[in-house]
Amino acid sequence: MSEACCGLKLGAKVPDFEMATYDPTKDDFGKFSMQEQIKNKRWTILFFYPADFTFV
Amino acid sequence: MGCDIVTVSTDTQFVHLAWKKSEKELAHVKYAMAADPTGTVSRTFGVYDEGTGLALRGVFIINPEGKLLNAEINYYNLGRNVDELLRKFKANIYMARKTNEVCPAKWKDEGDKTLVNPGAKMVGKVHEALQA
Repeated sequence: MSEACCGLKLGAKVPDFEMATYDPTKDDFGKFSMQEQIKNKRWTILFFYPADFTFV
Repeated sequence: MGCDIVTVSTDTQFVHLAWKKSEKELAHVKYAMAADPTGTVSRTFGVYDEGTGLALRGVFIINPEGKLLNAEINYYNLGRNVDELLRKFKANIYMARKTNEVCPAKWKDEGDKTLVNPGAKMVGKVHEALQA
C-alpha cells in the first residue's frame, strides 16, 4: 500500500487490506479482509468515525 | 446480493468491545467493528487526520469486485445521513443489475424513474426525461 496517503479514486480497485474486528453477533474478535470480500462476492460499506465513546 | 457494513475507527478491537458493552445505544449493533490503530486503512481512504490520529467521518461503498463506487467524507462536526447512504447503496445494487440505466438525483428506490444511458436523443431534453 505504498500509494496510501491521498485517498483512492472512484472506480479504482481498492487495495487489499485486513483489520482486526470485534463482531457483536459472535461476541468475539475476528478479521475483516478485503480479499475475502471479493472472494465471497460481497458488497462492503466502510463507515469511518473518529472515536469510540463519542457520538455520531 | 450480500453486503457487509463495517465500522472503522483508530480504536482497537478491545475498546470496540468495551464501548459496545457499556453503551446501551449500541445494544442492537450487528455489524463488525474494525480496528485501525495504525491508521493504515484510514490513510488508504484519505480520512486519516495526522494532527489528531483520528479518522474523519468517511463512508465508502465497494462493489463485489472490489471497486470503489462512492466516497463521502465529512469533517468531525457533521453527521452523515443514513437515508442518503442507503439510497446510494440501493442505487448501486440496481445499476449493477441494469447496466444501461442510471439513477438521477431524486431516485430513491426500485420502481422510481431512471434514465437510460445518455444518448444523442436526450440532448436538450433532460428535463422531459426526468418528468415521471
